[in-house]
Amino acid sequence: MTSFSWKTALGTALAGAALVASSPALAEQPIKIGGIYLMSGSAATYGEFAKQGATLAIDEVNADGGVLGRQLELKLEDGQGKVAVAIQAARKLVYQDKVDLLMGIDSSGVAEGLVPVVPELGKPFMITHAATPAATGRLCNKYTFRDGTYVAQQMAGAAAVAADTDAAKWTTIGPDYAFGHQTWEYFSKYLKERNPDVQIMDDAAAFPKFGAEDFTPFISSVMAAKPDGVMISLWGGDLVNFVRQASKLGFFEQGFTNIYAVGAATEVLTALGEQMPEGQWLATRYWYDAWDTPMNKKFVADYKAAWGHPPSYNAEQAYMAIYAFKAAIEKAGSVDADKVIAALKGLTIPAPFGDMHFRAGDNQALIGPTIGLSGPMHESDGIRTLVQIRNFDGADVTPPVDPDCKM
Amino acid sequence: MNSFLLALLNSLDIGLLLFIIAVGLNIVFGVLGVINFAHGALYMLGAYLAYAGIVGLGLPFWVTLLLAPLVVALLAVAIDRGMLHFIYGREIADSLLLTFALLLILNESIRLIWGNGIHTVEPPWPLQGTIAMPGGLRYPSYSAFVLLVGLLTLLGLWLLFSRTRLGKIMRAAAQDPEMAQTLCINTRRVITATFAFGAWLAALGGVVAAPMRAIDPGMGDKIIIESFIVVVIGGLGSFPGALAGALVLGLIHGLGGRYLPQLDLILPFVGMALVLLVRPHGLMGARRV
Repeated sequence: MTSFSWKTALGTALAGAALVASSPALAEQPIKIGGIYLMSGSAATYGEFAKQGATLAIDEVNADGGVLGRQLELKLEDGQGKVAVAIQAARKLVYQDKVDLLMGIDSSGVAEGLVPVVPELGKPFMITHAATPAATGRLCNKYTFRDGTYVAQQMAGAAAVAADTDAAKWTTIGPDYAFGHQTWEYFSKYLKERNPDVQIMDDAAAFPKFGAEDFTPFISSVMAAKPDGVMISLWGGDLVNFVRQASKLGFFEQGFTNIYAVGAATEVLTALGEQMPEGQWLATRYWYDAWDTPMNKKFVADYKAAWGHPPSYNAEQAYMAIYAFKAAIEKAGSVDADKVIAALKGLTIPAPFGDMHFRAGDNQALIGPTIGLSGPMHESDGIRTLVQIRNFDGADVTPPVDPDCKM
Repeated sequence: MNSFLLALLNSLDIGLLLFIIAVGLNIVFGVLGVINFAHGALYMLGAYLAYAGIVGLGLPFWVTLLLAPLVVALLAVAIDRGMLHFIYGREIADSLLLTFALLLILNESIRLIWGNGIHTVEPPWPLQGTIAMPGGLRYPSYSAFVLLVGLLTLLGLWLLFSRTRLGKIMRAAAQDPEMAQTLCINTRRVITATFAFGAWLAALGGVVAAPMRAIDPGMGDKIIIESFIVVVIGGLGSFPGALAGALVLGLIHGLGGRYLPQLDLILPFVGMALVLLVRPHGLMGARRV
């Protein structure tokens, strides 16, 4: 303190003033959004669709002047479908790339590993794909939001469809990790509630490992059990393999009622083309052809113009994550994590399917699934259409906030 | 009983396809002393070339079955002369690192060329239908074709190693490369040819798998793990070991998946652990240092 001098003080003040004066330049720094998706391996096509959806939204927002006058910038990392890799990616995005917001995650297993780490990172986190109830249930925290349907919402719709068929005996074939088992658990529970007389054939339930490639033994065992209905929760390349192998074994000529938990993923329908049989109940979180709203028409048209194919549900959910962040930042007037979280809580924003509301109790968006029968091929999109479409209302299919969710 | 027969046939299908792929891995290790991490990527390249030939160029399946493995074998010659050639005789860790790099290069090149999407190829004429089995069950004719290719590969390899001069030269080069060289065997050429032959087998497996399996950027990684399990069970570097390992794993998947579906995830590893406990060098493995 002995060396204190007015000169130094003046110098410091000047330097401070210079910093303040330069803050407009600082304000033009982009707002960074970190995305963690499956960018390699079998399901890389899901990550690519998410990237396309997020990129489209960011380009639209930036062309419109950005958010609070700042441009948006997307930083993508490959989560590889592994918990450790995804956590490392999230840390890199936050500490090294200095992102303001986090989004992504395709796999339920990865989500269950990453969600508990998010409070340590201290950034708002939007799950756009992973469907495990735990993420907005027992593992919930104030940073984690989800703008896609999760297993409970999805299965409430599927059970409603199943209850309207005359299938009395149900079994399942699904991947042997969180998603496959949770899908079956919720489907059985909701179907029993609607129709106590149905028989849930747990003994015949088949859970091949994720990425098994050869599903023939499991298909044979399900066929041998002679159910009336089958809940199929395989997804990605597994679903492509299943449909092709099942078709060879005559699975689709047994008169089963088949419901696919996430069957109407355009990623899979594009790969299968006509090989996806007609008359299968395909569920999805979002179907591009199910909504007549002006926002949906514009979204689908712009998406097709940008990428040459219709948007998948994963693309739509990534697209909406950007708009949810935008709305929250504008409402908060800042990108400060706590302020954005407060703004996101209980927020309602327009989405292609109507209003999307984030429930305050668990940060879960109230969205219902779309379920339809696979119909004739779409003339220009090269995939099956959905007919007899049923759009479920999010408020009707979402169970109350999990009592284990404590923020 | 009939469904047991079907499960057994299915096990053989899975096993013999694995054999075609894993035996290439084993032959390359036997002669070159290199554990080729990129073997799965060469299998995947075979499948993608089949897709490109059939869907892209409109070639018949049978033409791609002939051409795609040859193209991959030629690429393998370039890989051997340009990369592997420099690390022969070095520690095994060096070859692991190098072939791992090769795996990354091949994986990403395939993604650059064909994208991230999932592709499919239809089984060729006349293998689209099914064969009626007793009890109203049906067996896909293409699966019967896979069995046939597996058995022909087995027979061909056995003839090659036991009846031909080339096979004997390969075995000689494997057992004692210096001695073989002294006997005027061009070991360098034998080594390149062996690596190309291993790649040819991987790609053959890829083309054969293409009409049954989803063609996606992760298919190579999946098969290399299975192939390593086969090699551990059967014995590293052993030709009959690859057959034994592949059949054991096929039975684990085929019968286990049908009758003990809850255990499918752990059974291959239980099998591997048992073999390692009882016969640490694999069912047919020779003791190596």
